[in-house]
This record gives sequence, structure tokens and C-alpha cells, in this order.
Amino acid sequence: MAQPVAILAENLTKTYVKRRSLREVALHPGRRAERVTALSGLSLETRAGEIFGLLGPNGAGKTTFLKILAGLVLPTSGRALVNGIDVAQDESTVKRSIGVVTSDERSFYWRLTGRENLDFFARLYGLGGAGARVASADLLEEMDMGSIADRPFMSYSTGMKQRLAIARALLHDPPVLCMDEPTRSLDPIAAKHMRSFVFDRLSRQRGKTVLLATHNLAEAEEMCSRVVVLDRGRILKQGTVVEITADLPGRDHYMLAVRGLDSPPSDPRWRCTVERQVGGTRHLIAEVNRDGSAFSDLLAAILAARGTIVSCARREPSLQEIFDQMGPDSPEGTG
Amino acid sequence: MRTAQTLLAFLKRDFLIEVSYRTSFLMQAFGILFGVLVWYFVSRVVQAPPTTPGLEGADYFSYVLMGLALLHYQSSALTSFSGKVRGEQMTGTLEAMLVTPTPIGTIVLGSSLWEFLLTSVKVLAYVLIGRLFFGVVIHPAGLLPALLIISLTVLAFSGVGILSAAFVLYLKRGDPITYLVSSASALVGGVFYPPEDMWPWLSGWSRVLPITYALRGLRRALLLDRPFADLLPDIRALLLFVAILLPLGVLAFRVAVRKARQEGSLVQY
Repeated sequence: MAQPVAILAENLTKTYVKRRSLREVALHPGRRAERVTALSGLSLETRAGEIFGLLGPNGAGKTTFLKILAGLVLPTSGRALVNGIDVAQDESTVKRSIGVVTSDERSFYWRLTGRENLDFFARLYGLGGAGARVASADLLEEMDMGSIADRPFMSYSTGMKQRLAIARALLHDPPVLCMDEPTRSLDPIAAKHMRSFVFDRLSRQRGKTVLLATHNLAEAEEMCSRVVVLDRGRILKQGTVVEITADLPGRDHYMLAVRGLDSPPSDPRWRCTVERQVGGTRHLIAEVNRDGSAFSDLLAAILAARGTIVSCARREPSLQEIFDQMGPDSPEGTG
Repeated sequence: MRTAQTLLAFLKRDFLIEVSYRTSFLMQAFGILFGVLVWYFVSRVVQAPPTTPGLEGADYFSYVLMGLALLHYQSSALTSFSGKVRGEQMTGTLEAMLVTPTPIGTIVLGSSLWEFLLTSVKVLAYVLIGRLFFGVVIHPAGLLPALLIISLTVLAFSGVGILSAAFVLYLKRGDPITYLVSSASALVGGVFYPPEDMWPWLSGWSRVLPITYALRGLRRALLLDRPFADLLPDIRALLLFVAILLPLGVLAFRVAVRKARQEGSLVQY
């Protein structure tokens, strides 16, 4: 049975009007203020319990969408619903059912301890005195922060600060979490822990719906069941990361380590570049057409030339490469 | 009940932050003591007789002590709302609070409470120092009417303060009204000298300022032991200011919040 819809955006548009300086107004009183479209007819839905990714570069509209859901920004037109409730109509109820995680370390009181910060925000989420203390203590334990809970926030590492941000978003046990680049400033190990916590504990075990805004394609692939790729407020593509990258025009990239090969085989369907040579092993980057047999033909050509393939790995395209190949004017765009 | 608990949480937060700056309390206590001393010695030089028009029988030191005390309340009411909004915008904590279900009005009010509480302690300290060390006579019967007058004064000036917060929220800068009201209050509001001693064309402006009525009422209640009936004209004037300024401030704030959400600038500074 399909899960109920947790987040629904219908033709959501947000246009910002750039404020004009007094000088501009004085010099050009009749000129219309410049408008910037952050979201253009965005329509999507996420299912309860799903981790849904918002992929896109800076300015794509990811944060604007999250801010609309959080009640910080009003849409220009269209509507957004969380668990069936319109965010513009009943902001308070929506805020009770979502938790927001940003990567902004400044959103805490640095001179207070982690526990004091959580106690304070728990009150803002409507928890009573005892309830606030219990929720804070439980979450600090869950985030493995029990031993440092009474240290000032300013003494925390970036990873600890980010864990506290997640704990804060969970204080009122919301069914929906909006996460804006939660691993942005974390080291790879901390980022991995964060991803597994969100995936295993929040999504799998506790059934939270997670809306994850990220630049990181690998992160989206690891965590999200579905993603949308946004650019300048429009959806360029949606589906699983594998579907999105598989359907791309252009070439796949492979990293090959080959021994005993004098020169890489050539063919119009691929292009091999020697990246480096270590001893008798050549490390090649192969750009191969996506026509089904080109890659196996390349491997066969290497073997036929008496080369030995030591290793072979597909390199995932970066988000930038996806944008370059998809382009904002791609016919797949919905805007 | 829940709102009261939330407001208490703000008080606790600000108390904890305040005490984390260990020398802050000490410095503020010295500030109060120095302020009282400065005006004590000024009053010895001035030596205005209690018969001076406007002093209404009070000695000059007692007169100016009340002026200073109420000026603190005015300053808190005018600047704490906008100051807190600005401060929380700049530290990045405003966004974290605004994504909670707590209404923005409660957030702004709660953020200002500590300032008012601290001001009350300061005012109490002024009065106590004056009473214990400098012989200022405080009439206990006037305490309740004085509380009423102070409350109305705070509410009236809070209207202007909330208006100022609306300016900060939307325009990201302070408004000229607060500056004008502060300066005019100090100049013609009867804080340091009676308006009656000024040129008539200038002292006339004191009638449009709440602090004029607040100070006259407060001095009559605490220093001159006047009956409540004598205080009623000033209390009525303050009520009128509250009835006009507070809804105006709240309305402007609501408009500013809506406009800022439309522009997406709610947490920008």
C-alpha cells in the first residue's frame, strides 16, 4: 500500500523583488524593481517515511523551498502542504509537524551549554518543564552527547554542533524533517556517521520523512529514495539518482588500471586518457558512449592488446556534469 | 499558561547568558552608584529650592532621581524590542526560533523581558540608594499608584519600541522615531529639570510626550504623597497614550512580519 503524502508542492512559485537603493529610486523613479525567481512552478510530492533529495547548485531554490515549508517565506503563488495542511493557512500546526536542521552553527546560544540550548528550544516547541528536560536528555543520549551536554556550545566541534542541531529538530518528535545541507561542514567520517544516523535511525527505525537539500550527488544516492534536480527554481529531472544519471546524454566515465598495455585502444565510441603511470600500471580515464556495447568492447580491446585489467571503477558524474549535460533548457524541465 | 512558561524560558535563557559574563553585574552596580553620586553632587551645586516652579515642593535631588529611574524604563521600552530583534538576526538565532510554533510576538516580547527585569532592579537600586544614603523620602502609600504609572509608561513606550522593532525587521535599520522620542523626552520631558522652567514655546512640546505625565504622576505619588485623585489626570493621559501607541506598534509589527516573509528577508540583517 502506498504511503500517504507527507509533503506536497503544487505549482509553487516564489519571486523576490530586489529592494532598490534610495539612489536608484531617485535617479530612476519610474523603473520597475528587479525580480528574481527562486522557484518557478515547483510541483512535487514526498511520501511518509521517505528520504527525498533536493539536488541543485547554489541559487537553485532548495533553501527557498525549505523556508516556505518552515513558514519563514511566503510563496508568491501555488501552495505547499505538510501532512495535508497548507503552510500559508495554518503555519502553527505545520511547524509542530516539521523539524528544521540547518548547517548554520550560529543558530545556537554559544555561551549556553548544549543541554541549556535544547531546554530553551524545547519550551519554544511547546514542551512543559519536565517534558522539555526529558526530551533534551533523551536526545542528547541518542546523539551520543550525554557526556558533553553540560559543556558550553562554543566548545563543541563542528560535528557536535551539527548533532545538536539534529537533536533540536527532533525535540517535538516531528514526523517530517527538513535538512539543509546537514553534512556541509563535516569531515568525511562525521558526514558518514550523520548519513547513517539519518538513514538508519530516523528514516528506517522511526519512520521520519526527510527532505534533504544537498549539493552532494553521492550523498543523495546513498540516502534518498528519490530526488529532484533543481536549477533556477525549476525541476530539471526527478526520479532515483540511478535513473537520473542513467538517462543522461553523453558519456560515462570509468577509472581503469591496466598493466602490459603499450597504448590505449582507440575508437570513436570512447576516449582514453592516461592519468598517471605507476611502475608498469597505467591509470586511465575512459569516457565511453552510452550505447550498450561500447564499454564491453573497450574492455575486449584492452584484453585483445594483451593488457591486464587490474581494476575498473565507474566514476559517478558530479552534480555540475549533470547540469552541464542536462542544461536548464532541457525538454525534461518542468518549469 | 503555556505562554507564561515560554516567557519564563526566555528569562532563564537571558539570565544564564548574563551570568556567563561574570563582571557584568558588578560593572552595572558600579554604574548605578556612580550615576546617583554624580547627580547628588550636581544637586548640591544646583541647590534649587523646593519652591521652584515644577518641583512642586520636592528637593532637586529627589526630583532628578525619579527622572533618572523612569528614563531607564523609557530607554528599555524604546530599544529592547528592536535591539533584541537585531541581535538575534545577527547572531543567527532568530531563524531557529521562528521555525518553532511559538508566535513571533511572544518571541519578541520574551526576548525583551530580561531587559525590563534588569531595569526594574536598577530602578529599585536607584530608589534604595537614594532612600538609604541620601535621605530621599519615599512615601509607602504611593508605591501602588507608582507601579500603575510605571506599568502604563512601559506599555506606552513599548508601543514606540515595537514600532522600532518593525522598522528593524523590515528595513534592517533603526527608525528615527525612537531617536526623536528619546532626545525630546530628555530635553523637555521633565527628567532633569521641570519643563515649567523652559521657554514656553519649547516646554509646550512636553505635553505630547508620555514621560511628562509619567514623571509628574510618579513624583506626586512617591515624593509628595498626593492622594490618588490628584494622580488621575496623569494616569488618564498615560492610558490615552497606551490606547494609541500600543495598537499602532503591534499593527506595524504585524505588517512588517508579513512584508518580510513575502520578501524572504525575515532573518536577514
